[in-house]
Order: sequence, then structure tokens, then C-alpha cells
Amino acid sequence: MAKKHKETPEDYPALGRWLMFLDDPKVIKRIVYGIYAICAALFVMDFFYHKKAYVEIENYMGFYMIYGFIMCAALVICAKVMRVFLMRAETYYSPKDTESEMHPDHDLSKESVND
Amino acid sequence: MIDIFPPFVIYIIAALIVPFIPAGRLRSTFMLVIPVVGAWMIWNTPTGLSAVVPFFGFDLTLMRVDKLATIFALVFSLAAFLANLYAWHLRDTMQQVAALLYAGSAIGAVFVGDLISLFFFWEGTAIASVFLIWARRTEGAFWTGMRYLIIQIGSGVILIAGVALYYASTGSIGFEAMTLPMTSPITWSALELGIWMIFLSFGIKCAFPLLHNWLQDAYPAATVTGTVVLSAFTTKLAVYALARGFAGTEILIYIGAIMTLFPIFYAVIENDLRRVLAYSLNNQLGFMVVGIGIGTELALNGTAAHAFAHILYKALLFMSVGAVLFRTGTAKGSELGGLYKTMPLTMIFCCVGAASISAFPLFSGFVTKSLIVSAASKEHYYIIWGILLFASAGVFHHSGIKIPYFAFFAHDSGKRPKEAPTHMLLAMGITAFLCIAVGVFPAPLYELLPYEVNYENYTTTHVITQLQLLMGSALAFTVLTVYKIYPPELKSVNLDFDWTYRRFLPAVLRYITFLVSATFGIVTGAINASAARMVHRLHHSHGPDGSRAASWPSGAMVLSIAALLGLALFVIFFS
Repeated sequence: MAKKHKETPEDYPALGRWLMFLDDPKVIKRIVYGIYAICAALFVMDFFYHKKAYVEIENYMGFYMIYGFIMCAALVICAKVMRVFLMRAETYYSPKDTESEMHPDHDLSKESVND
Repeated sequence: MIDIFPPFVIYIIAALIVPFIPAGRLRSTFMLVIPVVGAWMIWNTPTGLSAVVPFFGFDLTLMRVDKLATIFALVFSLAAFLANLYAWHLRDTMQQVAALLYAGSAIGAVFVGDLISLFFFWEGTAIASVFLIWARRTEGAFWTGMRYLIIQIGSGVILIAGVALYYASTGSIGFEAMTLPMTSPITWSALELGIWMIFLSFGIKCAFPLLHNWLQDAYPAATVTGTVVLSAFTTKLAVYALARGFAGTEILIYIGAIMTLFPIFYAVIENDLRRVLAYSLNNQLGFMVVGIGIGTELALNGTAAHAFAHILYKALLFMSVGAVLFRTGTAKGSELGGLYKTMPLTMIFCCVGAASISAFPLFSGFVTKSLIVSAASKEHYYIIWGILLFASAGVFHHSGIKIPYFAFFAHDSGKRPKEAPTHMLLAMGITAFLCIAVGVFPAPLYELLPYEVNYENYTTTHVITQLQLLMGSALAFTVLTVYKIYPPELKSVNLDFDWTYRRFLPAVLRYITFLVSATFGIVTGAINASAARMVHRLHHSHGPDGSRAASWPSGAMVLSIAALLGLALFVIFFS
């Protein structure tokens, strides 16, 4: 068995190493601004084509984006409130439940890059 | 006479042979060949053919070949192939036999033309699939499997009871379109009750609201490979059965809409990513059920197409999360993160699955879900249309973003697992390729659909509005995450409706048991105590030391006996 050493990026697959720029906070910031920019562009695009609408409400500018945003924000906030009432410890149903169990090793092949 | 060979037979024969092939590459290859042979047979079976066998005075139709059956059978074969490839490393005879019997039962079920054969295959899927959960071989998995089995077998029992009533009233066992009576249950005839029971049994397997918990309970409890197999068959068989039996039943529109809606709330707060996928599976079934309820050609095409695409992208998502579980030992969002560095290919395949389920243009969900959503707006179900849009945005939120984000990005968990094994990558790669292929070239899929498709997917309006909807959803996720409002992944269990039968009803039962036994104890205790008191009192008064005994000294006793004897003598003397 190879001697374990502390893993370094050299152990990662090439693609993974290349993707490591995603760890940079500056890049993350850029991605966030990128999403804002794409949203703004898509919103504005509504002015430049003829929308074939079946439902009245579709004709409002940026309806789909506003609907998607508001409903999803509401979804998350509702879900957060649900947690207050519905969340229990992982062992709530144990031992008649798999939630608090470890996944058995016979079904796994746990290997890390420095093995 | 049988003039065609039903494809399910291949799977059953294979399941009988598998234990005799030594576990290893030979057996794994065999497992791959079977679905290919099965699919080849299905592909070459001309539509319109039927095969009938006599059975205890009934004519069982084992094969009724039409386009609706064929598309489901083909995608089941494809799913079986991909799942077996993903499970190439598996050396567990139990799971391999179960997977073959399960796939065979599902394929058998979609071809049958009568309700009795349907029942056999219906139970076949239930019994075969539970072994994929038990194969985990833990106490929790045993109990979860028992719950799953009770519900699945229960569905079959309700089905056969319904079929019996249906047969008694109509004299037919044919599996044809039925009309669900919408009158008050008090006025139901035996036939109407029978149809409702058949509908209910389909509903259980299809995970209708409040009948759904077996799905979220069982799928995350199965083995890494078992969950991938499970995700394909049972629920889509139920969708097929509903499409065959209850197309155009309006109540399904509302049931389906609720199904698209409520699981997404749970998916947002669920920690186990395989359970998140089970909730989103439930949500996707909702779209198909709405399509069946609308029942127009466009909507039914949408349901069949969406089932096809759904089986692929859902398998892909379960495979990628399964690969993470396989390498790290956990599928919980709270313990994962940062895996993209060492599992980049798995991450990319997961993102393809996520984009497909979210219906991004150029991915499979886009060209299939839109048929259903358009059908809803064309048939003037505007509120349903709004709900479906919300559910579409929501699915991107919890499956499209949450799954890849918490598994592969988010906070770095420090885990540095190796990339998934080659066969898993291959299975994911082929599935991802198919997801994109269907999205880019939907025409071959549309060819397979039950009705002719006159639908243009890639119109400017459609592409832009869909992108707007999804980016609105992404914007919500971004803003909520940046401002730290998004709920973190927490180790937890969230109570769902199964709480009623896992906790509430047993507690009620325990309480009633306590009450009855306590009442019994009090009543019998009181009777016993009063009897004991009476004996005690009599003993006290009439016992040897009692007050009565004390007032009758033995001299008095002798005297009274002497008097009695004297009286007797007197009577005898004079009589």
C-alpha cells in the first residue's frame, strides 16, 4: 500500500485542477455579477421580439423572470418556516430508519486521491 | 396461441441463469446483454400484435403492442441497460437477480392487455424491488423495506379487489380506458367502487399526494446502485397505467398539480441529496399526471415523452449522487461540498442531469415538459399553468442548483474522493449524452410517441421565456445565498405525512391499548377487591375467631344439637 501523504492539487485530476479557479473569491464575485447581467439582458430582451402569448399575463414585460424570482424566493422562505415546525433530530425514527445509519461499507468503495 | 415471444420472459430466464454464472465480468456482461436483447425484441415487435394465453378460464393478454406500450418498454430497457452498466462492479447475486426481475416485471406490465396479468406484474415489481433496499443489509433498511413492501403489496391487493368488482359487473378483465365516477361514494355501485379501487392502487404506486411517502422513505435507503434501478420503473409503470386507464380524467389535473407543488418545499430543506431527488421525482411525476388528466393528444404525448426523458435524467442524477456516496460514504448535503476538484467528470454529468430536469433549452426536459405546460395553457387551465411554471422554476432551484451546488461546490468539506470508477463514468456519460441528444434532436423521440407531434419547441418566445423563468429562479438562489438567507444544509429529519403512520397512529394505538388495559385492570381489580373484602368480612364475622362464633359458645352448640335431636326423635316417634 502506498504511503499516505497530505494531498496536494497535484493529486487531483487535470480537469479538477483546471477548475480550481472556481475557488477564487474574485471569480465567485464575477460569477454572481455575471448572473445579474444575464438576468438583466434577458429582461431587456422582452422588448425586442414578438411574444406569442396564450395567457394574458404572459404579455407583461419580464413576467417569466419576475414570476420565477418571486415564487422561488417565497418557496425558500416558506420552506425555512416549515423547518421550524417539521425539523427533528436525525435519530428521530431510529433504529427503524436509515437516516442516522452509516452507509454500510460493503456497498461502497471509499477511496480518496491520496490513497 | 402465442405467436410472439413476450420480452419479459427473457428477463425471467436471465434471472434464473444469473446465480449460476460466477460473479465477475462474465456475469456483468450477461447483465448488459439482456436489456439489449429485450430492447431488440421490443423494437422488432410490430404494433397491433397480441398474444393471448388461457388461465383458469380467463384469456390473459400478455402482449398488446401499441405505441404507448412500446415507448415505455423501450425506455425501461434503456434504463435497465444503463443501471446494469452503472452496477458493473456489483458482485451481489441478490441485487442482480432482483434488478432483472424488476425490469422484466415492469416491461411485462406495460404490454399486458388485461387487468389480471397486470396484477401479477404489478406485484412482481413490488416483490423484486424490495430486495434492492434490503441489499443494504442494515436494520434501518430492513424496516424501511418492510414499510415499502406493505404499501406496494397493499397497492396490488387493492388492485385485484378492484378488478374482481370490475369483472363481476362487466364480465370483462380487459385493461382499457375507464371512466372514474365522480358521484358521492354512498351511491356507488360495485363497478364504480371497483374502478375507484383500481384508480387508488395506481395512485399509490404513482405517489399521489399523501400516498407518496413510500417513495421518499425507500429510495434513499437502497444501495448505491439499487436506487438507480428503483428510480426508473415503479412510478413510471403507474404513470403508464394511468395513461392507459384514466386519460382525460379531470381530477388527475388537480392531483398532478398538487404533486408538482408540495414536494419542492420539502426538497429545499432536505439534507439527504438522494431524498431531495426522490422529492423532485415526485414533482416530475406531477407533470406527467397533469398531462394524463388533460388527456389531449398533445398532453398525452407530453406525458409519454416526459416519462422517457425523466427516466434518463433522473437516473443520471441518482447515478452522480450515487457515485459521490460510493466514494465518500455519504450523500448528505451537510457533509459534502468542494468535490468538483477531485470528481470533476461526475460533477459535469450531474450538471447535465440538473440542466435536463430543469428543462434548459438544448436539454431533454425542455422538449418534453413544454408539451404538457403548453397543453395546460391551450386547454385554458390557467391556474394549473401557473402552478406548473412555479414548479418548473422550483425544480431548477432544488434539483438544478441545490444538488450540484451542495455536493460539488458550496463550502469545502475537505473530502478528496477519487473520481468515480470508469464503468460509472461510462454509464453517466452515455446517459448525459442521451439527455443532450434528446434535447437537441427531439424528432426521433417524437417519432416514438403515441400520437403525431405538431409542436415547435425552439421558438424565440419559448426559449427566451424559459430562460427568463430559470434565470429568475437562479437569481433568487444567488441573492438568498449571497445574503445568507438560504437555509443551510442541516443534519435532520423533516416530518412528512408518513409521520402519521410511523409515529401518530402507533402512538394513538398505544394510547388506546393503555386505556383499554388500564380500564380492564381497574374494573377487574375492583371486582377482585370487593370479593376479597366480602370474604374477609365473612371470615371476620363468621370465622372461628369471628364475633358471631364468639357469641355461640360450644356449650350452647351442644345444647342446641341435643334439642334438635330430641325434636327429631319426637317427630319420628309420632309419625
